[in-house]
Amino acid sequence: MSSKAWFTFPLALSLVGTAGAGSYQAPEDVLQGVIEKVESDYLTQSEQNLMMMADNPANWVAEEGKALFLEKRGPENVSLEGCDFGKGPGVVDGAYAEMPRYFEDAGKVMDLETRLVHCMTTLQGFSADDPAVKERHGSSSDMMRLQSYIASKSSGYKWNPPLDHPLEKAMRDAGNVMFYRRAGSLDFSCDTCHGETGKRIRASVLPNMKVPEEWTKAVSWPAYRVGHQEVRSSQHRVRGCYWQMRQGQIVAGSDASIALISFWTDAARGQPAILPDMKR
Amino acid sequence: MSCYKIPKVAAFATLALSLALGGANTVAETSADKVDYTAMSAEQLADYLIFDARGFKLDVATQEGGTVRQRLEQDELQRTCSALQGARAEGDTATQVMAMARKAITYPEGEIKLGDWKKGEELARSGFGFRVGHNTDDHSEREPGGNCYACHQLDPDEIAYGTLGPSLKGYGKARGTAEAMLKYTYEMIYNPHAWFPCTKMPRFGANGFLTHQQIADIMAYVMHPESPVNK
Ligand code: HEC
Ligand code: HEC
Repeated sequence: MSSKAWFTFPLALSLVGTAGAGSYQAPEDVLQGVIEKVESDYLTQSEQNLMMMADNPANWVAEEGKALFLEKRGPENVSLEGCDFGKGPGVVDGAYAEMPRYFEDAGKVMDLETRLVHCMTTLQGFSADDPAVKERHGSSSDMMRLQSYIASKSSGYKWNPPLDHPLEKAMRDAGNVMFYRRAGSLDFSCDTCHGETGKRIRASVLPNMKVPEEWTKAVSWPAYRVGHQEVRSSQHRVRGCYWQMRQGQIVAGSDASIALISFWTDAARGQPAILPDMKR
Repeated sequence: MSCYKIPKVAAFATLALSLALGGANTVAETSADKVDYTAMSAEQLADYLIFDARGFKLDVATQEGGTVRQRLEQDELQRTCSALQGARAEGDTATQVMAMARKAITYPEGEIKLGDWKKGEELARSGFGFRVGHNTDDHSEREPGGNCYACHQLDPDEIAYGTLGPSLKGYGKARGTAEAMLKYTYEMIYNPHAWFPCTKMPRFGANGFLTHQQIADIMAYVMHPESPVNK
């Protein structure tokens, strides 16, 4: 199926170039691989997690997501096989590792969550406030099931978000500015906590944005958060960090959130994605 | 470095606002094709996405009586330090930031004194305060804390300490409590950019995060010979 999609989308092929998108590898093996490559307290802080990864509860959530993906749903009674995640309708293998990206039909750069919302509302005909679309958090939400399934199909693929479209580049660059943008009651920017290796906030070891082998784990969402006992998304993590920074609530799916996610994915470029992941 | 050409962004803002109000669609669906993002600098676009494309819930009230919009607006120091992208301030920039910081320091009436180290300990441990959004800290239930353990080791018996800042274990024992030391420590907590321009440490006094009394209590925790920090 994926080779056929490649064939009918020569444009996508040329965009990806020869960077070597990779192929599927189980998340626990990908993590083991990066651990062997670099010495990192962040990567090894939860050995327990590494051992538990084969039984990651997020795997079940992804399984449920697969069923939802293939099911005919919504007022239009169609499956999500008609949704293009950048590699042609219904193609999910390696698609998430190349997001956010520009989508011609929407005229904008979208991350996985925004793209799903787009397809569920335009293709399947769900209204924007239908719980299927509106509920974004927790393992039992359709959104987290679908995201987990689609993302799991990019495990082992190298992060390679396209930057060919001027908007993709503009969003990445704005996200770069946002990453270093200090504001709020504590003068924090993302760089305050994610600009050095091996530093801790309280007992948590922080990933360094400038070390791609650490950063690939940091941006590998969805992940099962052991502390929350729920599967969480990139958008949920962004919201949490701004809350800690005392800078109010970022709007999920806003271009601001997509710009930041464009930058953080770009920072992990070339490293294999760990999906679904497990985090503290 | 801080030439962000604000007026130009403001012009884009009005354009976008009038267009965005036209449709019932969500902002996320409509914003990109109305305004040419690629015609803006990265700094302009970031500001545009935050303030004009409704990137944040800007009108939400904050504990200090303002709004999230005000929290997100940068003052000159924040803008100057952001532009360094994590690098240390040097040369003229450093001098300028240190002067800016010094000007923003106010001192307690009379001399700088140590408060109650036990209160200070609670404050140093607490990460409560000023968080807004999906969960908002209610300051009438609990006073905001100083977050010191997020970045510093203090009491040697506490193992859950951060390492973004240097260890302050034995700080008072090593440095004493002479007037110059009290003043330095006060200034570090009030506005550390007076000593370390563009440091990662927050301006607890200048930003109104901690009161003069709270600073005195935390100083006692860090400096008093009886405090576990100095045992
Ligand atoms: C005050 C410190 C602080 C700031 C500022 C901060 N973060 Fe974080 N961030 C954390 C902590 C703590 C974690 C959890 C790490 C852990 O549990 O090991 C985290 C986790 C993350 C992760 C996932 C890594 C993981 O293992 O959970 C990402 C990605 C991330 N932050 C991005 C950002 C971005 C983007 C910003 C700016 C919008 C930001 N952070 C600002 C402290 C911070
Ligand atoms: C976000 C991290 C962070 C937080 C929170 C923080 N600090 Fe700091 N602090 C630092 C850093 C970093 C330095 C070193 C200055 C530099 O090099 O930029 C520092 C330096 C200091 C110094 C000077 C140390 C010396 O050797 O002269 C003192 C005193 C201090 N901090 C006290 C405190 C107290 C008290 C609190 C809580 C109210 C606190 N800090 C909260 C990051 C932090």
